[in-house]
Amino acid sequence: MSAAPDTLQPLIAELPRREPPLRPVEQVGRRRRPRVAYALTALLGALAIAAAQMGLSVATTETTYRVSELTQQQRELTWQKQVLYDEIAGMSSPQYLAANAASLGMVINQSPTYLRLSDGAIIGSGKPAGYASSVSALSKGAVGNALVADTPLVTTPDATMQGTLETATESDVTTALPPPITDGLPTPTTR
Amino acid sequence: MTTRTSRSPRRRTVVALGVVLAVLVAFGIRLVDIQIVNADQHVKDSLTKIGERVALKGTRGSITDASGRVLAESTLLYDAQLSPKNVKPQQVVRGGEKIQIPWAQTAGEIAAITGQTAEEVMTIVADALERDPESQFAYLKRGLTTEQYRDLAELGLPYLSFTSQPSRVYPQGAVAGSLTGFVGVDGSPLEGLEVAQDQCLAATDGEETFQRGQDGVVIPGTKAETPAQDGGTLQLTIDSDLQWYLQQLIAEQVKKYKSISGTITVVEAKTGKIRAAAEYPTVDPNDFDAEGAFLRNRVFQDTFEPASTFKALSAAVLVDGAGLTPLTTVHAPWKVTFDNGARVRDMSGHATVDYTLNGVLVESSNVGISRLSERIDPQTRYEYLKKFGIGQGSAVNFPAEQKGILYPASEWDNQQLYDTNYGQGVATTVPELIGAYSAIANGGVRVPLQLIESCTKADGTVIEPELPEKVRVISEESARQVTTMLENVYMQAGYSKAIHVPGYRVAMKSGTGQKSDGKGHYKSGVWYTLMIGFAPAEDPEYIVAITQDEPTRVKSSSADAEGFQKAMTQVMKTYRVMPSTTKAPELPVYK
Repeated sequence: MSAAPDTLQPLIAELPRREPPLRPVEQVGRRRRPRVAYALTALLGALAIAAAQMGLSVATTETTYRVSELTQQQRELTWQKQVLYDEIAGMSSPQYLAANAASLGMVINQSPTYLRLSDGAIIGSGKPAGYASSVSALSKGAVGNALVADTPLVTTPDATMQGTLETATESDVTTALPPPITDGLPTPTTR
Repeated sequence: MTTRTSRSPRRRTVVALGVVLAVLVAFGIRLVDIQIVNADQHVKDSLTKIGERVALKGTRGSITDASGRVLAESTLLYDAQLSPKNVKPQQVVRGGEKIQIPWAQTAGEIAAITGQTAEEVMTIVADALERDPESQFAYLKRGLTTEQYRDLAELGLPYLSFTSQPSRVYPQGAVAGSLTGFVGVDGSPLEGLEVAQDQCLAATDGEETFQRGQDGVVIPGTKAETPAQDGGTLQLTIDSDLQWYLQQLIAEQVKKYKSISGTITVVEAKTGKIRAAAEYPTVDPNDFDAEGAFLRNRVFQDTFEPASTFKALSAAVLVDGAGLTPLTTVHAPWKVTFDNGARVRDMSGHATVDYTLNGVLVESSNVGISRLSERIDPQTRYEYLKKFGIGQGSAVNFPAEQKGILYPASEWDNQQLYDTNYGQGVATTVPELIGAYSAIANGGVRVPLQLIESCTKADGTVIEPELPEKVRVISEESARQVTTMLENVYMQAGYSKAIHVPGYRVAMKSGTGQKSDGKGHYKSGVWYTLMIGFAPAEDPEYIVAITQDEPTRVKSSSADAEGFQKAMTQVMKTYRVMPSTTKAPELPVYK
């Protein structure tokens, strides 16, 4: 207890004597008017920022809806593309084309003959094509394609690559028969 | 002059400051850790743990033929699922009036789209409810087309949901089906190049994460995407039109000659590119479950005794290694017993004659070629056969591709010493044999066979397969002499009229091979028949090989004559090979 005053004493004694920090004002200062312009600027600035932010936000949201709409549209078009693709898948396959060609009566000619333009020489077998096809793409079609197995031939709608449909044979028979003559020979009407 | 007591408050200040600083530094470190070091992880967590996540499926690459026509391509199929518990009569507002559509009627509408019957659809629901009255899941139908899927979706039934399945379409059906192979229902490759080239074709999945607002629209700025990598496009050397023609042709031939199976293979002589590898029976990869579908590939996976087609190689060895010429003669009865006890006989009896080497090939004399083979030592002959590629497999490396069997000369027994000359006691494959013939066609240089043209990755990088070096087997002059003899086979053999290709010089050889019965003996009365040749002989462009397993209408290699003739003619036409303007030199058969 007695130690404290002992040690404090010299400290106080050592403090230097200073001039008082406050002094009276000699003259009354002019009062400054607050500037309205500054306040307005600050306020308008804040408002502008808020408006810009809101505008941007609206624009982004708007775009998001647009994106979502276009994505949906794209999805639908993709579906449409797939549907169309499925419809024609396999139609370009060689066996389907060959079956169509065969149903038109086309044959695969085996040995072609070449004509040399420079001197008009005929190179090759020089024989005309026969009536028989070297392979029978239609009647003995052996290269399957499940994608077009049931697709009717373009040229013969009642037949498929795998042959004539059951119903087709019937109609073929009826159309093959000549029309009966009941009222004598028909006469063409000329005008 | 500071004492302990005077230092104490200052120390306290220092300690406090230290603690504050330490905390500040700790926060700072943590901040750097969160914002910089582990930023990616946290962003990812925020997206995956809060947001939604959708797997992005890459598309498996296509397989195309040499001209880019698609042989295999990816598409989507759909699975439709029902929630049986929620199947209720449909409430519809029509003309301002609420009406109920009974389930039976809706089932009918569904069935009309899926191709089922209304009863089937109702049974699916009833069965599921019977097993579990709370059932929320039952497949309505799997593998629906996009059209069916859209039609079903447009019914607007709340208890129907759909998932898409990547699926594979083979637009050309069975054309090259035995090469492309196919992919299972779950999308995993099962056979053929789909398996072997999976590395090229397979896609890498990606994922997309985002957060959605209450209206279902993605919240801006929450979307993150790891894009999926599509698979590469695999281009083959195959010509799909030619492939179709040859598949149709071999099918007709197999049916006509009542064989077990048959193959026709076409290879570009100068490049080794396989232009067609047709076989019958085969598989339509669109429908590989179909009855009678043959899922393997015979061209690459079957071995057989090459029989007399091997005589061309033996003759090449004798010409190149022992200096024989096409006119070297040999005294040949129709059967002979050699000094070592080996017995060799020809296919049919004939008077003892003096054949030229050319005649040995034309008449396909086993005795003749066996006698001549004594002019060269077996080891040299073995080395030659190895250089021809027999027993080596091909450079194609088709899945489960087989290699022929050629035992080392030191292991040949007395009989094999002679048998190997005419293709017995040795097995080979179609690609090996074509490779060997390519050496004769290419002036003595064997080219490696090639089935893959390239793999084009999604980013456009093109990867071409690495091929082994070409191998010089015999000299150019030897190759020319053997070719001339093979042209004489084409012109003078018994079946030469049947294989006449108008306008072209052709070099070829036939073979009728015996088949093992699996018990160490040969099957009696049935053969593995083949013909192999190239044209035009003066500048060979294409090699054609046809095989038929056990033809029964005609049992010898003559069964292949019609097929060979038509195949070779079609190849010449397809590639617009100009007909020959010169005549083949005719060589004598007898001395």
